[in-house]
Amino acid sequence: MRTIPRSLRVALATAIAATGFTATTFAQAASADDINALREQIRLLDQKLRVLERNQELKDETAVADAKKLPKITVSDGRIEVASSDGANSLRLRGLVQGDARFYLDDANAAQDQFLLRRARLAFEGKFAERFNYAVQPEFAGSTVSILDAFVNTSVFPALNVQVGRFKTPVGLEQLQSDPIAFFNERSIATNLAPNRDVGVQVFGPLADNRVTYQVAITNGVIDGGNSPTDSANSEGDFTYSGRLFATPFANEKDSALKGLGFGIGGAIGNYSGSASAPLVNAYRTDGQQNAFRYANNAAPTLANTTIANGTSYVISPQAYFYTGPLGILAEYFTTSSEVSIGSGATLNQQKLNNQAYNLSVGYVLTGEEAGFRGVTPKTNFNPTAGTWGAFEVVARLAWLDVDNDAFIVPAGAPVALAAANNATEVSSFGLGLNWYLSRSVRFGLNALNNDFKLAPSAAPAAGSVLADDEQVLIGRVQLSF
Amino acid sequence: MKLKSILSLLAAVAFAGTAAAKDIELLNVSYDPTREFYVDYNVAFANFWKAKTGDTVTVKQSHGGSGKQARSVIDGLRADVVTLALANDVSALHRNGNLLPANWQERLPNDSAPYTSTIVFLVRKGSPAAAKIKDWDDLAQPGVAVITPNPKTSGGAQWNYLAAWEYGRRKYGSDEKAKEFVAKIYKNVPVLDSGARGSTTTFVQRGIGDVFISWENEAFLAVKEFGADKFEIVIPSLSILAQPSVAVVDKVVKRKGTEEVAKAYLEYLYSEEAQDLIGKHYFRPTSEKAKAKYAAAFPKLEIFTIDEAFGGWAKAAKDHFADGATFDQIYLNK
Repeated sequence: MRTIPRSLRVALATAIAATGFTATTFAQAASADDINALREQIRLLDQKLRVLERNQELKDETAVADAKKLPKITVSDGRIEVASSDGANSLRLRGLVQGDARFYLDDANAAQDQFLLRRARLAFEGKFAERFNYAVQPEFAGSTVSILDAFVNTSVFPALNVQVGRFKTPVGLEQLQSDPIAFFNERSIATNLAPNRDVGVQVFGPLADNRVTYQVAITNGVIDGGNSPTDSANSEGDFTYSGRLFATPFANEKDSALKGLGFGIGGAIGNYSGSASAPLVNAYRTDGQQNAFRYANNAAPTLANTTIANGTSYVISPQAYFYTGPLGILAEYFTTSSEVSIGSGATLNQQKLNNQAYNLSVGYVLTGEEAGFRGVTPKTNFNPTAGTWGAFEVVARLAWLDVDNDAFIVPAGAPVALAAANNATEVSSFGLGLNWYLSRSVRFGLNALNNDFKLAPSAAPAAGSVLADDEQVLIGRVQLSF
Repeated sequence: MKLKSILSLLAAVAFAGTAAAKDIELLNVSYDPTREFYVDYNVAFANFWKAKTGDTVTVKQSHGGSGKQARSVIDGLRADVVTLALANDVSALHRNGNLLPANWQERLPNDSAPYTSTIVFLVRKGSPAAAKIKDWDDLAQPGVAVITPNPKTSGGAQWNYLAAWEYGRRKYGSDEKAKEFVAKIYKNVPVLDSGARGSTTTFVQRGIGDVFISWENEAFLAVKEFGADKFEIVIPSLSILAQPSVAVVDKVVKRKGTEEVAKAYLEYLYSEEAQDLIGKHYFRPTSEKAKAKYAAAFPKLEIFTIDEAFGGWAKAAKDHFADGATFDQIYLNK
C-alpha cells in the first residue's frame, strides 16, 4: 500500500489544523457580536417597554386627577348630594313626609277623626364658596305652600358664626329639635309658649372646647309658639332679642356616664303691638292639635272684640336633656309674660299675663340602640326575610300648660275679658307611645295621649266643644325622612 | 333690652374669639422639588411664630409642576402663599386672576427669590451613555434618551429648555440653529412628565433614559438617596440661573384673615435659620453667611440669567412657551 509522504502528511495536517482554528476563531467572534447585538436589542426593547409602561402610568395618573375634578354625587339612604370636586360648593336634597291618622276616643272630638298629610317638605341645603352654608325648606302640606327655613350662614371664627334669614328662634329645647326625631309625633303642649320660626340675624357657636354653645338672635319677633310671617314688619320698630346658652360639660369625655348631659337656658324679649287685623297672639293647642285656649277674636275683627299683643312680652325657659345608652330624657319649663289688651280708650282691658308650662319626656330604645338629641339610628333595617326588624323605642310624656287667670277676668269698666271663660286655663297632658324605626329614614309612631282641661272657676265648656271632654287621642304616623 | 346691649354682647363674643391664641392654617402651593425643604421649613417657621405670637401655625403643602400649580390657584385653590419655580408662574396669578398686584416681586428681597438654583445633568454611573455625556451637545446625539418634564406644565422644564436654547445659540450662532438644536434634544425625549418630581421618578425609579436634565437640588437628592455608586451629576459648560419666586396671594389671605402670618412666612425664608435649611436641601442660599457655608457644595459653572439671554420672563414665555411658540413648533412636529 502506498503511503502519503511524511512531508505531505505534515503539510496536510497543518492545513487542516489551521483551517479548523480559523473557523473556530471566526465562529467565536461572530457569536460575541451576536450576543452584544442581542443585548443591545434587549436593552432597547426593555427601554421601549419601560417607556410604554411609564406613559400608561402617566395617562392613568392624569385620568385619576381629572376624575377628582368631576363633581361628586352621593346617594345614601334617600339623601342626594352633589358637591364640587373640591367640596367648596354643594347641594343636598332632603325630604320629610308625614302621614298621620288621628282618632279621638272622647265624644267631644270624635268628629275630628281624620287622615292627614301633616308635613311634606323638601329641603335644599348645602354650601357655596366653601364657607357659606344655606338651607331653603318649603312646606307643601296644607292649603298653601310656605317657606319654613331660608337662611345663609357663615363662620367668621369657629366660635362666631353668623346666620341671616328665617330660622327657629333659639329658645325652646324641643322646638329646636328636628321634627322627625322628637319623641312624640307632636311636640308637647309646653311648646305652645316657645317662639318658633322668625326672620332676622343670629350669631352662634361653640365655646370652651365645644362644652358650651351660645345663640343670640335679633328678629322681627313672634310670641307664643307662632311663626313669624316672612313679610312681617317688626311691630313698633322694635326687634325681639332672643338667646340661649346650653352646656354639655362632659360631652368630650367619652367614658363619662354624664357625657349625654346637657342643660341651659333660653329666653326672648320684645315689644309687640298688634292690631285687630293682625293681633300677634296665638292659640294654644292640645296634643291632638285642637284649640284649648284662644284669645278673643271675631270674624269681623275690631279692637273691641279682638285681643291683641300690646306691650312687652318675654319668655324664659330653663331646659335640660340626658341621654345614656338607650335612655333619653328631655325636660323644659317655660314662664312667659305677655302684655295683651282688648278694647280701647275708656274700655281698654290691658293685662300682663303670666303663663307657664313644662314638658318631661322620656324614651327608651328597646332594641338597645343609643338614644340621642339627634335621634335614633337603628342597627338593622326592617327586613323580615333576613330576620331584622329595625329599632323599637317606647316613650312617655308628662306636660302641663297654665294660662293666667287674668285672661278671663273682666276688670271694672272693661266690657269683655281677654279670652272667653269657656277656654282652658290649664291643660295637663300624659302620653305613651311606641316608635318603630324601620330604617334610618322610615319611622312609624303610635301615640296615645290624654289631655285634661281646667276651665276658669264656674265656667262651663260650650256644648259639644273640644273642651267638653278630656281629649283622648291616638295619633299614628308613618314618616319618611331623609 | 336695648340694641346697644346686644351689640356690646356681640363685640364681647368677637373679642373673646380673637383674643385667645389661635390655630392658623396656611396653604403653600409650591413646585415639585421643594417637598422636603418645606417640610423642615414649616416646622422652623411654626416654632418661630409660636414663640413670637403664641399662635399655632400649620402649613399644608401642595406640590406639582409649577405651571400646573399656578393654574390651580387661578382656578380657585385657596393658596395663602405660592412658592413657584419661576417668576412667570407667579405673575400669571396677577395676569389671569388679579390675585396679587403686578409689583409683587418688589415686596421681598432679591426680586422675591429667597434662593436660587441651576440646571445640571444626572446620568447612571458606569452606563455606556454616561461616558459620552459631558455637555448639552451630547443630549442631541441620536440614540440618547433624554428625560425632562413638559415645559407647558413644569417650571423646571422651562429652565431646562432655555438653558439648552442659549447653549445652542451661543455654539451655533443663531436662534434658528438653536431651535434645530433644541428640537434634536426633544426628539430624544421618550416621556414628558408634568413636573420635575415625576421626571425624577421616570429616570431614577423606572430606569428610563440615559440622562436626566435636572434641577441641581433634585440631582443632589437622587445621588444622596440612591447612592453615588448608581448616579452621578454631570456639570454642563453653561447653565441658567434659576430663581424660584415666592409671593403672598393677597386676595386669598385677605379673605381668610391670614395676611400677617402669610407675609411673615415668606419673610422668614430670608432669615439665617431658613437660609441654612435652604443650603442643607441643596438650593443655593442668598444670604452671604449661608452662601459662604455651602459654597464648596455647589459646582462652579458658567451661569447666565434669563434677563441677559431672553430679555426677561415675559418675553421668554411669549417666544417659547405660549401656544404656538417654539416649544409647540418643536414638539408637535416631533
